[in-house]
Amino acid sequence: MTTAAYRPPLVRGGDRVIAGVCAGLARHLGWPVKMVRIGMVVAALAGGAGVAFYAWLWIMVPTADESAKRNARQPASPIAPAVSAPFTAPASQQYPTQPYPAQPYPAQPYAAAFAPSAPPVPGSAAGTAAAGTAPASEGQVPADSWRSRVTSLRYGKEILLGAGLLLAAAILIARVLGVDVPLGTLIPVAAILGGAAIAWMQLDETRRAGLVDKTKADQAGGWARLAAGLALVVAGVLVMVSGSGSWEQTWLALLSSVAVLGGVALVLLPWGLKFWRDLEAERAGRVRATERAEIAAHLHDSVLQTLALIQRRAGNETDVVRLARAQERELRGWLYRDPGKEAGQLSEGINAAAAEVEDSLGHAVEVVTVGDCAMTERHEALVQAAREAMLNAARHGGGAVSVYLEVTDGAAEVFVKDRGPGFDPDAVPADRLGVRESIVGRMNRHGGTAIITSSQDGTEVRLRLPQAAGTASGAAATNSNGEARL
Amino acid sequence: MSTIEEASPARGIRVVIVDDHAIFRSGLKADLDPDIVVAGEAGTVEEAVVVIAAVRPDVVLLDVHLPGGLGGGGREVLAGSVPLLGSTRFLALSVSDAAEDVVSVIRAGARGYVTKTISGAEISDAVRRVAGGDAVFSPRLAGFVLDAFGTAPADIADDELDRLSARELEVMRLIARGYSYKEVAKELFISIKTVETHVSAVLRKLQLSSRHELTRWAAERRLL
Repeated sequence: MTTAAYRPPLVRGGDRVIAGVCAGLARHLGWPVKMVRIGMVVAALAGGAGVAFYAWLWIMVPTADESAKRNARQPASPIAPAVSAPFTAPASQQYPTQPYPAQPYPAQPYAAAFAPSAPPVPGSAAGTAAAGTAPASEGQVPADSWRSRVTSLRYGKEILLGAGLLLAAAILIARVLGVDVPLGTLIPVAAILGGAAIAWMQLDETRRAGLVDKTKADQAGGWARLAAGLALVVAGVLVMVSGSGSWEQTWLALLSSVAVLGGVALVLLPWGLKFWRDLEAERAGRVRATERAEIAAHLHDSVLQTLALIQRRAGNETDVVRLARAQERELRGWLYRDPGKEAGQLSEGINAAAAEVEDSLGHAVEVVTVGDCAMTERHEALVQAAREAMLNAARHGGGAVSVYLEVTDGAAEVFVKDRGPGFDPDAVPADRLGVRESIVGRMNRHGGTAIITSSQDGTEVRLRLPQAAGTASGAAATNSNGEARL
Repeated sequence: MSTIEEASPARGIRVVIVDDHAIFRSGLKADLDPDIVVAGEAGTVEEAVVVIAAVRPDVVLLDVHLPGGLGGGGREVLAGSVPLLGSTRFLALSVSDAAEDVVSVIRAGARGYVTKTISGAEISDAVRRVAGGDAVFSPRLAGFVLDAFGTAPADIADDELDRLSARELEVMRLIARGYSYKEVAKELFISIKTVETHVSAVLRKLQLSSRHELTRWAAERRLL
């Protein structure tokens, strides 16, 4: 027996060194963590491809917690279809049979091994700048602070540090390229940016969310207003600068402002992403709450009422069974109803007839349908005949009644089977209208056939209605194998 | 919640019951015939995987909907017990009857599917059948198979896995009509062993067919 190999979802977390990307990747692919890490470092050395890949996975792959939260939003009810739920969840849960148990990987040696080979994040110039002022692993600091910001907003200091480092990097690059950077202008700009950032950070999370909400920044209009404001500011600055100096200087200024803005955007990106995800989660939570309320209302109206009835009638077994069956049917209809399915199908008619018989006689009637077609007048006769057969089966047969409807291009067939003691169809008196008239006669009149087979194992009624009228010959009778066509 | 009882020296069929409702587990335990020994119970996906690996039963009675794990229910237990699939057989139990549940758990490796409302004698019979290496098809599952594979018999040109043979179709139809294996054998003038062979062949096709319609069909079908 072969089944598809089980593959855990791709989530970050578990034993992490930076952001848990390598560990998550290794778990997902079923490779050793060490190999993935070495591979990532080698790729990083090859022109920084590994760094880009790592960053991309970092941003795109959810952490185990986030994934679990998303998973929790899926219907958790035992009756809801589980197949539609994506197969994602906390990766920290390991099956003992899986060949890759979570091994606590020593983080320290890895960090040490990674640090010397790690390419500086903002660029080579930044690397040298950082190396001058900090230990060799300085290149990791902004990366670490990014990680923190994705999970929490409390790390304002690291954000400022990152922004400062980026700014310094930009200045150094500009110098290396031979551009005379007017430090006298940039330092005030940096101060202003820093001040704004600090002011922004002082607001706590809820107030910030409230502010964004109030200004409708999460709506299209809010974004348009924001863009318009930015455009105005940029245009104003351009005019100001171009008024005071040459076009060359204007372009340089523009370039440096774009660089600064880009740096800031880069720094704020993870924060923005995190904020966006929170918003999505909250929205989904609200939808879920509404759904839950609807389900609660329905359960109260139907299931709880039935349970109360059952408790009051606990002494009467038939009543309890009947109530339970009726409630089960109703609940199934509600849970698995198909809104896309148009009404008036043959299967619906058969199901309704079965439900009616169940209700009136208290016998379980199991219906299996294969294929379907629209109900016509002739199919109405088929349903009536089937209903009569089910009534007979429930009345005379013991145990459950099986009903099978199969609709093909050629014909619609219904089989009603019980496990009763059986009877001899030929011995049924001619004045008994039940079988002869309601089942056989009705089918024949509408161009169909009815065959009744009975033995000590039970009785089966086979109804067949060709799709095109008049093709069936209701005359020929086959009396073989105990079959009798009446 | 999970218990591992001492292995019984009696030569019975050892089963593990996996269901999150303790009432259902104890009811089922009481209903099973005396030659079927309940060697362990579990209520969640994690417990089930551990208990099944420890007990190595002949048959696992597996509820399709289970809490825990990644939310995949019975399928996940099957996925976590892949190394045992050769020796331990799984019989899926469910109240749901939704095609996608049934088909997915069968495709994950279960040898049969029955609804929770069936009687103790019927489920004991199903356990014995599964333990003997046969497949257990309820009328509902047979109906799903017919719906998914189509009711036209296989052409020679078709991929062998994607269609049912004329004989397999006949067997499936009779099972859908409520016939027991014995009745099917009598109706078709074949031995019960042959019926079991046909049913196992259908199960294999259901599990292995790469027919993309099968999955799509199961996902789309929400009626019932």
